[in-house]
Amino acid sequence: MNVAMGQKPFVAITYETTESNKTGSWRFLKPLYQDKQSPCSAGCPAGEDIGMIEMLARQGLFKEAWETILRENPLPGVCGRVCFHPCESVCNRKDFDSPIAVHALERFLADAAVGAALTTKWERLPQKNQRIAVIGAGPAGLSMAWFLSMLGYPCDIFEALPEAGGILRWGIPEYRLPLAVLQSEIARIEQLGVRMRTNNAVVSETFDELRRSYSAVFLGCGHAHGAPLGIAGETPESVKDGLDFLRRARQGERPLCDGFSVVIGGGNTAVDVARTITRFGGNAAILYRRRREDMPAFGDEIAMALEEGVELEELVAPSAIEYHNGRLRLLLRKMKIKGQDKDGRGRIVFDGKKTVKKVIDHVFAATGATAAEPWYSPPLAQRGVMGFSHCVLLLEAGGAPVIYGGDLTNEAKNVAQAIASGKQAAMVLDTYFERGIDEIKSRLEACVVGDGPALSMEAYLGGPRGGRSSHLVQYGEINTDYFQNETRVTQPRLAVEDRSCSFNEIELPITAESALREAGRCFNCGLCDECDNCYVFCPDAAVIRSGNMENRHINYDYCKGCGVCAVECPRYALIMGGEGL
Amino acid sequence: MKQVLEGNSAVAEAVRLARVQVISAYPITPQSHIVEVLSDYCASGKMDARYLRVESEHSCLAALVGAACGGVRTFTATSSAGLAYMHEMLHWTAGSRLPIVMAEVNRALGAPWNIWSDQTDSLSQRDTGWIQLYCEDGQEVFDTTLQAFRLAEWVNLPVMVVTEGFLISHTYEPVDIPEQEEVDRFLPPYNPAFKVDTKNPFTVNSIAPPSIYMEIRHDNAMAMDEVPERFDDVEKEFEVLFNRRYGAVEAINCDDAEIILVTSGTITSTARLLLEDLRDRGEKVGLLKMKMFRPFPVEQVCRALKSAMKVAVIDRNFSSGAGGIFLQEVRAALCNREDRPLVFGYIVGLGGRDVTKAVLEDIYKMTKNSDVPSDKSVWIGLREVKHAIGR
Amino acid sequence: MLEVRFHGRGGGGTVVLATLLAKAFFQAGYQVQSFPFFGVERRGAPVEAYLRLASKKILARTGVTTPDHVVVQDQSLIEDIGVTAGLKPGGWILLNCPIPPSDMSAFANHRVAIVDATSIALKNRIGSRTHPIVNTAMIGAFARMMEAPPMDTVIAAIRKEVPSDPERNVAAAEAAYREVRFL
Repeated sequence: MNVAMGQKPFVAITYETTESNKTGSWRFLKPLYQDKQSPCSAGCPAGEDIGMIEMLARQGLFKEAWETILRENPLPGVCGRVCFHPCESVCNRKDFDSPIAVHALERFLADAAVGAALTTKWERLPQKNQRIAVIGAGPAGLSMAWFLSMLGYPCDIFEALPEAGGILRWGIPEYRLPLAVLQSEIARIEQLGVRMRTNNAVVSETFDELRRSYSAVFLGCGHAHGAPLGIAGETPESVKDGLDFLRRARQGERPLCDGFSVVIGGGNTAVDVARTITRFGGNAAILYRRRREDMPAFGDEIAMALEEGVELEELVAPSAIEYHNGRLRLLLRKMKIKGQDKDGRGRIVFDGKKTVKKVIDHVFAATGATAAEPWYSPPLAQRGVMGFSHCVLLLEAGGAPVIYGGDLTNEAKNVAQAIASGKQAAMVLDTYFERGIDEIKSRLEACVVGDGPALSMEAYLGGPRGGRSSHLVQYGEINTDYFQNETRVTQPRLAVEDRSCSFNEIELPITAESALREAGRCFNCGLCDECDNCYVFCPDAAVIRSGNMENRHINYDYCKGCGVCAVECPRYALIMGGEGL
Repeated sequence: MKQVLEGNSAVAEAVRLARVQVISAYPITPQSHIVEVLSDYCASGKMDARYLRVESEHSCLAALVGAACGGVRTFTATSSAGLAYMHEMLHWTAGSRLPIVMAEVNRALGAPWNIWSDQTDSLSQRDTGWIQLYCEDGQEVFDTTLQAFRLAEWVNLPVMVVTEGFLISHTYEPVDIPEQEEVDRFLPPYNPAFKVDTKNPFTVNSIAPPSIYMEIRHDNAMAMDEVPERFDDVEKEFEVLFNRRYGAVEAINCDDAEIILVTSGTITSTARLLLEDLRDRGEKVGLLKMKMFRPFPVEQVCRALKSAMKVAVIDRNFSSGAGGIFLQEVRAALCNREDRPLVFGYIVGLGGRDVTKAVLEDIYKMTKNSDVPSDKSVWIGLREVKHAIGR
Repeated sequence: MLEVRFHGRGGGGTVVLATLLAKAFFQAGYQVQSFPFFGVERRGAPVEAYLRLASKKILARTGVTTPDHVVVQDQSLIEDIGVTAGLKPGGWILLNCPIPPSDMSAFANHRVAIVDATSIALKNRIGSRTHPIVNTAMIGAFARMMEAPPMDTVIAAIRKEVPSDPERNVAAAEAAYREVRFL
């Protein structure tokens, strides 16, 4: 008769808290928040914090994302256009659906920042006494100056040509890299106080003078000198330098290229020369001694060139050239594949004695470039010379230290490697000045992104990125239950008929909406994005959060070490370790 | 005022007048009209209630358990598969002693697909601790829904008001809908036995080890045992205000009957017609309407059936391996009584098959002409069919 | 007790027709019960609805199999469906058609009334040009045919229950009341 008597129903209600039961004493494995390295960042020569950049972009924090890029790379507008994006080929998402369009997102963020006229007050180290001379305003010199400025060093850039930019200004056509983009990046570097001395060629005498008046000299004048083909009958008139052709085109000239031209080579320069000729109204064919799939040029660029009317002839090597009725006659030897080279490409040999003759109007060589002066090249290993992956330091009595970088020292010669070189050189010099020569190697090692050789300036400066584990996150470590297949964004392009007759930029911007969606695809490998799965899943309410990421922690009084949090972490930002951790 | 209303609307009107505060439901034929009307009322402000959209019936009842713990009056409606999906939460509701009221519109369970009336869905939930009240027409549905809140909140147990797919849910008939003030006199605001309070936090349904689980269950059992009596109290109050009452069971002409038909739901109405005919012909027949199924009103049933020689239990439901479910309960109720009648069981109307007066008359005749009941329920009106499988 | 069966097509307002009549009859003092054919309704498929009328509370909870009268909302149904199935001899058949059916042999045992409810609905702009809603016109014709329910209860029911353009529907019911023909 309990109800009728007005008794309360008997329900299992308790006012006791479970706090007295310290379940943490049961634990033998301990969860730990631990951010790790993403393969894209390790794959980026500039070591950009891509997982973090995309996480910020996904939240619409475009400015913060852009700043995060600039911490490691002063040229996002350039790299968002002309970098060969090795980050994408190692992206873990490729094993799920398709890699993140890091390249398109970088360009979006760079353009958005320029469009919104964003500026940032950079936290720079206090001004140092040493003033540095940087020779060459190419990507290596520009980034050297940027990072030196961050580290507190005043510096001056000496550039032979009338404008800064190096290969970016003079060697890459406008349809791939508009001038305004480059100029705004250079302006941002100048805003840090870097003095730009253009029309100021350094010859060996002035070089020695610089070594006396500056505390150190960075030599990064690149490989701007086209290599000759080395064939019979070759003269500077009969075989023209492809890089020179591009330089003149970008100076506003219209170099002679009417009729039919052939371009010898398989790199981006060869493709750019041929496409520039097409835009000037000429016809062009690329002749390459290997096959299309062996060409170092970007596959997309080759495909677009062919769409635009450029011809491609594979497995032919020039052997002689002569004048013929006012035109040129090129003798070519046919090649064939036999076996394999060390790099995996097919090994080429002469196809017997087969030859072919071509009567044409112009020949351009684009088979590689060298330093313009022999003394640009770094000295061979000897006492006083210290070699690194992307630069060489020369210390000798009677002059300030010289540090060689960019194409002069890099095995792979491209913009991203040049940036890596400038960054490494800045770190080497700073450590040398601040801590002495013996600490350089260990200091660099502490800043390695993943398994290297990319370096992080944020880590060098003692930022939070330096606290990450060196573990490189593998695809299998991502909990893909929390991700859905989504289509990768496609960068829009000018139609072939619109682009083949003008130098207008071909690649068009993606929308902010596409950028948000694309950034949202990113696994952010190894990085906590505060998804709160750990908080939601923890059966002991032992995950404590109080506002921001730094305050997210585990209450080890109650964490019983069950590991649910680590299992349900989509991004492998939590690990289970022994109690000793 | 009397209005011509669909059965589902009669439920919705009762919920409106009961001033329910939180409603949650997941649509399913033939119940959907109830919550369509109620969601309109919530949206338009005709009701001052929160309507919670949920992704499943399980979540629906889980949400209501939470709401009821917060001390508000709650309601849901479902049918068939939806009720089956709630199964676990049905136990939780009763175990938590929360007075949630549900309209359960009988519909057959699959397989195969069937949307028509069949009581197996609600009867399958007989052990979940819910009070179950079966109705035979729109007026009874309306009245019972109002009574359900009063009863549930008195004994702290959830109530399932059971109606029938289409036969009630989609049938229009006159229903007397009282004014709000009259309903307010019958049903005071909900005064919860407990409610969660963030200022003085406590845990509801924390673990109860073997040392206490049984006592909690026993308290629950005692509350359930009281239900017939409390329901009678509720009906008395209701009758004073509205001049209608139904009873946990309704015994019609049972005192002198030799054969008594036992029915529930809409079959009762049709059986009332038959009863008039048979009585006119001098047959000594009675009718026992089962309104309350849980708790099973053993005393009322035994009292009603005590003078009969034979009882025919008519089930629009089926427990495979045991037969009609009302049959089992009636037999169990009688088994320890002296001079108990013979109990015959019949299965009719599964999956919405029409149960006509002729069908019921056949059952009466079969019962009258049989001396010994079968252990199993007898299936009425089966057609000769060739099985399709294998062709 | 009187039982009426209504034939129509899904989406054509057949169930509403039976319900409106139930409400009008109830206002006129009858006990009523109406319900649709218990099934899954699809637009355009043949559907049925039922109405029971009595002087005391209706207890029957079974299907209507031997109606006293039938109402056919769509002429095309006459050929598709056995509209006279179970219809009691002498019962009314109310058809929506402009002219009498050419073959009346199927209706030999019954009384037939016709009304051009489609034209009336179109004239009163009820429904769309392609799908005029004829149910309120049929109610008017039914009221005249059965001499019940009284038109004032019909009109009151329409005004209360029809959500859009009740006056056009009232006009349609009144027109059909005048125009229904008994064959």
